[in-house]
Amino acid sequence: MFRYALRALLAHKVRLLLTVAAITVGVAFVSGSLVLSDTMGRAFDELFAGLAKGTDVTVRAQSNDPGASLPGQVHPLDESIVETVRGVSGVASAEGSVTGFALILDRNGQPIQPGGAPTLGGSVHRDPALALAGGFSYRAGRAPAGPDEMALDAGSARKAGYVLGDRVRVVFPDGTGEFTVMGLVGFGDTDSLAGATLASFDTATAQRLLGKTGKVDQVDVRAEASVAAVELRDRISQVLPPGTQAVTSEQVSGESSKTVRDGLGIFTTVLLVFAGISLLVGSFVIWNTFAVLVAQRRREVALLRAVGATRGQVLTGIITEAVLVGLVSAGFGLGAGVGVAVGLRALLSSLGIEVPATAAVVEPRTIVTALLVGVLITVVSALVPAVSATRVAPMEALRSATPVSGRIGRVRTATGVVLLAAGTAGLTAAALMQNQLALTGVGALTAFAGIVVAGPQLARGIAAVTNSGRPGGGWSLASRNISRVPRRAAATAMALTVGLAVVCAVSVTASSIKASAADLLHAGNRSDLILRSVTNTSGMSPAVADIIKRQTGVDTVVEWRYSQARVNGNVGNVVGVPAADLGRVVDLGIATGSLADFRDGTILLSTSQARELNAGVGDSIKVTFPETGQRSFQVAATFDLDSLVGTGQLLSLNDYAANVTSRLDDMVMIKTVSSADTPAVRSRISHALAGYPNVLISDPNEFVRTEQASIDQAMGLVTALLALSIVVAALGIINTLALSVMERTREIGLMRAVGATRRQVRGVIRRESLLMSLFGALMGVLLGTVGGVALARSLPSVPTLSVPIESLAVYVLVAAVIGVLAAIGPARRSSRVNVLKAISAD
Amino acid sequence: MIPNTLTSTTRNQARAGSTGRQVAARVEQATKTYGSGTAAVVALDAVTVDFNVGNFTAIMGPSGSGKSTLLHCLAGLDRLASGRAFIGERDLAGLSDRQLALLRRDRLGFIFQAFNLLPVLTGRENITLPCDLAGRKVDGAWFEEVINRLGLEDRLSHRPHELSGGEQQRVAVARALVSKPEVVFADEPTGALDSRTGAQLLGFLRSAVDELEQTVVMVTHDPVAAAYADRVVFLTDGRAVEELQSPTRESVLETMKRLGD
Ligand SMILES: Nc1ncnc2c1ncn2[C@@H]1O[C@H](COP(=O)(O)OP(=O)(O)OP(=O)(O)O)[C@@H](O)[C@H]1O
Ligand SMILES: [Mg+2]
Repeated sequence: MFRYALRALLAHKVRLLLTVAAITVGVAFVSGSLVLSDTMGRAFDELFAGLAKGTDVTVRAQSNDPGASLPGQVHPLDESIVETVRGVSGVASAEGSVTGFALILDRNGQPIQPGGAPTLGGSVHRDPALALAGGFSYRAGRAPAGPDEMALDAGSARKAGYVLGDRVRVVFPDGTGEFTVMGLVGFGDTDSLAGATLASFDTATAQRLLGKTGKVDQVDVRAEASVAAVELRDRISQVLPPGTQAVTSEQVSGESSKTVRDGLGIFTTVLLVFAGISLLVGSFVIWNTFAVLVAQRRREVALLRAVGATRGQVLTGIITEAVLVGLVSAGFGLGAGVGVAVGLRALLSSLGIEVPATAAVVEPRTIVTALLVGVLITVVSALVPAVSATRVAPMEALRSATPVSGRIGRVRTATGVVLLAAGTAGLTAAALMQNQLALTGVGALTAFAGIVVAGPQLARGIAAVTNSGRPGGGWSLASRNISRVPRRAAATAMALTVGLAVVCAVSVTASSIKASAADLLHAGNRSDLILRSVTNTSGMSPAVADIIKRQTGVDTVVEWRYSQARVNGNVGNVVGVPAADLGRVVDLGIATGSLADFRDGTILLSTSQARELNAGVGDSIKVTFPETGQRSFQVAATFDLDSLVGTGQLLSLNDYAANVTSRLDDMVMIKTVSSADTPAVRSRISHALAGYPNVLISDPNEFVRTEQASIDQAMGLVTALLALSIVVAALGIINTLALSVMERTREIGLMRAVGATRRQVRGVIRRESLLMSLFGALMGVLLGTVGGVALARSLPSVPTLSVPIESLAVYVLVAAVIGVLAAIGPARRSSRVNVLKAISAD
Repeated sequence: MIPNTLTSTTRNQARAGSTGRQVAARVEQATKTYGSGTAAVVALDAVTVDFNVGNFTAIMGPSGSGKSTLLHCLAGLDRLASGRAFIGERDLAGLSDRQLALLRRDRLGFIFQAFNLLPVLTGRENITLPCDLAGRKVDGAWFEEVINRLGLEDRLSHRPHELSGGEQQRVAVARALVSKPEVVFADEPTGALDSRTGAQLLGFLRSAVDELEQTVVMVTHDPVAAAYADRVVFLTDGRAVEELQSPTRESVLETMKRLGD
């Protein structure tokens, strides 16, 4: 049976190729995602291990959050702790270090933007062994010393064209300074630390520039050769004041790695979801191929059965074929996966997400997963056709091979219609009721199942519509060819439906989020100008707000600071704003209580957060800050427009500052005096902020457009990830058309004999392709739109619904183009059918 | 007007055969070989034959003698290696693939031994297929007449797989006739039919020639079928070796026997 299977496979090379390609793409996506994720994981591991190099023990402030899951925000320590640590026996050297925000400007005064990575300023160690952290070394020059000197990371120097001796301007939280570059720093082989920019100074200078005079963020300790790190850690711990802790460098890099790996896990899951979609699409193609393979071989199978092959043998034969196809494809897919990983990385970096580089990591898990996925998907997809092959009666050897009209069971159609109706009802209900994420998911899956089950009948329905054209005309012939094998047409179309449904759902959701962002701002914003940092991650110096306050024409300036904290145990964003002025720049939509009661010691809660915490006006809320621990606030009011400010809890700026050291503003809202000319005020502010090139000034409309652009970017990423599944669907269409041309060789020959031109024959094939692709697209767009509406209505903070009709129309158009393109090969083949061979009886 | 008519008449006279009537199709020194070198097969060897308008010609000969090849080359389905083939006064050699297709569609009719019909089309649609391909309206009265003659009135809405073999062949005949082609070519049209059904079909073709002046060229192995024709052309090894006017079953058999020796 094995040899028979192998020979049967090789007999149809083109079909084999297309099927293998369909599975390969899916498997490549899966393995590519895994490879990328493993590679990134290893790169970060190496990075963090490098960072801890040279240091044995680190002394730092203890996080006041018992969960310890809030990263980064630790209270600086008093400088005196360095001396305390140095006094511990076994310490070879101990030095304090500070890190903070520093934005390096290029020669034109524009900030060097690392694209997502942080812009860091820091101190350098005097002890060369301690300075080794991260493979830190001077590529050129020497360590900076004194208030006028700095070292620059080689990456930034390369970008801006700086060399030793250049004067470089750097923006700090509290102002701007100019320094002479004394050293260029590399990190092992790389020019930067995971893409971050770094300006280094001697410790005293760094402390002053970063606003940490007399303070250190941490103390790095090197042990004497005879003392183990663990031992030294325990000794140091005994002399530390409360609120500080000593940890080994292994623990530090382990913690950092874990945080990154957790993040990578989510990222990998997202990629795998898209890989899954493309596999699902591939499975339709496989199903189709095997269904046709079996249908075409009915005579052959019947003959085998007639000469005594058992059902089991027939089944084994076909499953063997499937396993072979699956294995080969999975093998190709695995190889291609490394390429996909590179492509995904390029995609990410084109979006400004820099990923540290290291050699591609192919874990055994990736290999096993790829092979398993490839073989399982193929075998499962081939199972139904294979079982139906075993039902071939030996007598069927005498029947005609090509079906004239496929029969569709009534039960099947009824089931499909019921599923479709139930799914649509579920989605409609979800859309009407809002916040029904689970119902949306179940509804979408049910509706899709319905479309799959009722697909053949639907395909036939579509064919019946287009068949109403002139009989014998291209549309009529194409329609009838579709409806003679409706299952095949449906499976082919479904492959396209899957991808398009997801694209449309995402598109509707993204469009709704964009519309909501605009509506929210119009509903709640009262400010005239909004300031943010160009590098979204780092804030603006509080000096910016002070400068603006001094400008004429400015009425109110409201600073916004965001920090992570626990609110009654749940991690969330808390915001600090000047309580008295808040109402002048935004209308939060106060639901209960009064904004007038918002002052120090109180908190504003969003309506949904209040519901979640089961709290009302006057209740006490516990907020846990990483630096200072738990504090209580009384609810002053609840508000509706939480999506406007991106948080459900607001504190007064005074309370916030008492618990969060960072004084960087994330956003500044400005209200001009009513008599002032806003553009004039804007240009005055812009002039006054010349020393702060990292500050981006926008009016509310520009602000919304920036928000919307970032949503478009995410939408672009999703579309790019789904492109692979669309490619698989196109392969499926080519496959189906090629098969049907092959089956209908005689018919095509006959048409040509009675006078059809090549062009007419090609036209029929092209129309079949169009019918299938448009059918698939229509189902996809309908399902995706309804699903997208339900999804948008299920998301929090998306009050406005927007269906992007033009985009949806474009998708249908794209599907039509795919249909036309997919038909090129098969149509050409059909027009090359040898008339004489085709019509001579076999 | 007059000069035109004159020239066309002159041209037709130039091509007139022994009976003095117009030529519907003609091959001159038609040669066709398959393969090359020692394996080369000469399917047609300098064949020259005329087929007159309103005439029913049967082509006979042993298997492999080139009957089908001759028919295909005449009908523009295949090209000659040398020599010339004409439909009316049109030399097929100069025609492109597309022009040949249009010629088949508009001026010729076909009946094959089996598999004459597209399975997805009904009887009626199969009959009108050449007209539909041309985007031409079917002559309704003529359609009715052909259908009535062939007794297909109540089979028109059926698909081929719902028709008997004889009915399928009758639909094929109807398709060949309904576009009023200049020549109908038939390659063993009764080959797959029982003798009674075959006789019916041949009767239809005969009456189309008699009553409608239709030109028919038919390949057959069956002396009884050949006897329906006005003339029989015998091929042997790719050569036209013998002709028989007003054949009967006996005269055909006798000629076959003589040639076989
Ligand atoms: N495509 C081809 N390639 C090679 N040889 C061919 C081809 N078609 C026909 N022949 C050869 O040409 C010769 C004539 O074939 P043709 O089909 O015209 O015979 P025929 O008289 O119709 O025979 P039959 O009565 O069996 O149908 C035969 O020897 C045949 O083998
Ligand atoms: Mg023949």
